[in-house]
Amino acid sequence: MRAEYMREQKRSHGRKVLAVLPIQYPKELLTAMNVLSMELWGPPGAPRGPGASRLQAYVCSVARNAVAFVQAGGAAEVDAFLYPHACDSIQGLATLIPDLGGEDKPALHYLNPKGGYRPSSRRFVAGELRRLAADLAELTGEPLSADRLSWALDLHREIDRLRARLLDGRARLDMTDSDLYAVLRRGEWLWPEDHLAELKLAASRLAPMGEVVQRGVGLLLSGIVPEPMSIFDELSSMGAYVAADDYAAVGRRVVRKQLLASEDPMDTLAWLMFAYPPCPTRSTSLGQRMDYLDRLATRSSAEGVIIHTVKFCEPELFDVAGIKERFGARGLPVLFLESELEAELSGQTITRLEAFVELLTQRRKS
Amino acid sequence: MITRRLQYELVKRLAAPLLVQLQGASKRLKGRQGPRPGSPFGPPLKSVALLKDLMTRHYLEGRYADGAVPVAWVTSGFPVEILRALGFFSIYPENHAALCGVQRLTPELSDAAERVGHSRSLCSYARTDMGAVLLEKTPVGRLPRPDLLACCTNICQTVLYWYRCLADHFKVPLVLIDTPFVYGESQEHHQQYVRDQLEELLSVAERIGGRRHSSEELVRVARLSHEGTLLWGECLAESTNRPAPWTGFDGFFHIAPIVTLRGSEECNAYYRHLLDELRHRVRHGVGGIKEERYRLMWDNLPIWYNVRDMSTLLAENRFNIVVTTYTNAWAEAGKRMDPTDPVGSAARSYTHIILNEDLDRRLELMTRLAREYHVDGALLHSDRSCKPYSIGQVDLKDRLAREAQVRALLLEADHNDPRAYSTEQGNTRLQAFMESFA
Repeated sequence: MRAEYMREQKRSHGRKVLAVLPIQYPKELLTAMNVLSMELWGPPGAPRGPGASRLQAYVCSVARNAVAFVQAGGAAEVDAFLYPHACDSIQGLATLIPDLGGEDKPALHYLNPKGGYRPSSRRFVAGELRRLAADLAELTGEPLSADRLSWALDLHREIDRLRARLLDGRARLDMTDSDLYAVLRRGEWLWPEDHLAELKLAASRLAPMGEVVQRGVGLLLSGIVPEPMSIFDELSSMGAYVAADDYAAVGRRVVRKQLLASEDPMDTLAWLMFAYPPCPTRSTSLGQRMDYLDRLATRSSAEGVIIHTVKFCEPELFDVAGIKERFGARGLPVLFLESELEAELSGQTITRLEAFVELLTQRRKS
Repeated sequence: MITRRLQYELVKRLAAPLLVQLQGASKRLKGRQGPRPGSPFGPPLKSVALLKDLMTRHYLEGRYADGAVPVAWVTSGFPVEILRALGFFSIYPENHAALCGVQRLTPELSDAAERVGHSRSLCSYARTDMGAVLLEKTPVGRLPRPDLLACCTNICQTVLYWYRCLADHFKVPLVLIDTPFVYGESQEHHQQYVRDQLEELLSVAERIGGRRHSSEELVRVARLSHEGTLLWGECLAESTNRPAPWTGFDGFFHIAPIVTLRGSEECNAYYRHLLDELRHRVRHGVGGIKEERYRLMWDNLPIWYNVRDMSTLLAENRFNIVVTTYTNAWAEAGKRMDPTDPVGSAARSYTHIILNEDLDRRLELMTRLAREYHVDGALLHSDRSCKPYSIGQVDLKDRLAREAQVRALLLEADHNDPRAYSTEQGNTRLQAFMESFA
């Protein structure tokens, strides 16, 4: 489906296509330059083919699966790759794949500064954006236009507003988690205007303020990427739903802050890169992240927290102790699940989820 | 504060030197240790005693440093010259964790970190150190409480995640030098970013250290640091001789001063002494092992808890590790340092670190080292705890064989946690690798 969509985008709209590795990147810039991003989150399932053993088993499966997928020709039709600087493993892929073989398409980079906002990092982001815009201009043969960038910024703010409404108004949304996440995650590869249309349709199913549709046990889910997606059906069958989202692939990429208006859209874009919710891959302080999670849990009235992360993902794993401590102090139960982007949830994981939801249900009754 | 300062100066100037003298005298009474009969190693380096004295003094001073002088906990690749010039006493948690690793303390310390929710998949240096903080247990007696945490991402992002946890625990500021990864050539706005951060660091460190920096002092420390890295490089380069006067495993221990005391006269004095000894050994044909038939390169961190066993197994089979990419990193850094431009050149040299450069550069470096040190093969430690160092090794192994005719073995282990290493399996793989040279 994705492959056919990509071909159609190239054919009908003359768009270039970038395979984009996780997590954060200036998508607005790509949209402005008529470039479609196809994000590469795995894909799920055991890595296969000649590239499956190029990374050691103790490297996270997002990286391992991506190498295997690319080397098996999974991204043969894209025009180039974009490697945002998310972590040591993605940074490693950015040199492993182009430098040591596997794919010889152009490799573009976007380096996220670490450690939150500082005057130095603000200037650095501006430099990175200018460089990426130049690389994209070389790829597309068209320079960046300020008008197009302003249009793309507006388009993506509209997308963010709708995504925020759907996530924050989850209890009022008459959709299953599976359906909601299918819509949200299609944004990883749809042209933004197509994605916006689907979001509007989903938002039409929001009940009026004050009316609650979801009556199950509300959970806060935090992690890298919601895979396997069957986790949502399992939770639903157990009487639970996702009341708040802190997945790096989803909620952590929704900007809710009001942006400073600037005459130069590149300047606005630079500010935007600091407006995302806290994420350990960008190393905002632990305290800021915990406060943010605390607010998410409070606002959504979550009754429990599931840390659903990818095994060997160091940025996420370093925060686990802090999350457990913070919510432990609040009396909010926490379940820690590690996945390896399996195609399906294991029986053991389902049993743990059942026990956790059962505990929360009993707490609610008592 | 005044009492604490007096206590610190007393220890630094009187007690620590006296203690190390007493230790030396005690060792002399026990008699000088030569190689054990039947040992495959050459005579032990005399400098080892001096190294022990130096490190003992450092950690002893550290016990009394907090409250007396500003204390920073620093990552190994941090441009420490700025802090040193402002009078900070620095502790290197990585070096401390390695000390714990050698003494096989990691399982106990890591258990403490795991009990509060840290995963065993995390870097074992981080687990070791966080466990030591939680249990207040350390082989060096006591670690001074930091006033500042100083982290540079040129060796990995892991140190930043780790230091965020420390900052949260100690409630002290964390300063970051974020070094953009170098793909091909470092770009001007990347260099500017690092320079800007170094300027930001200066103002934070001045505030915490309670004094303004002096340009002269900064230049003086940068000069010492530059000289130290060059001396360290010269020590390593002595192993281009046959036989190599020491082993790469020796180098793993003798690296301690350039990591922890970089930019100080005592560090350089030590390396001048070591260099003299190594040159003397070269002149007299004294090797690190008695019979050096095959020469190997080591990639990645050492397996600290297994150094003795592995070096013995290799030496018994006449294999010597003559060069390691890890110890070489501190020698490479010196090439870009320019003491007359301490900030600008720090931005350059601390960005171009092996772990912050692409795999093409790494392959180029390994090929050059293989040629200069005349190596016959390479051991690539696939380190569960160090992903940036380990990613790409599967390809590097093949490319080294194909392009540099260096056969290589990928050995999976963990630098600090013995629970993640099977000695039997590791030895079997090493034996098979060595047999392939017969």
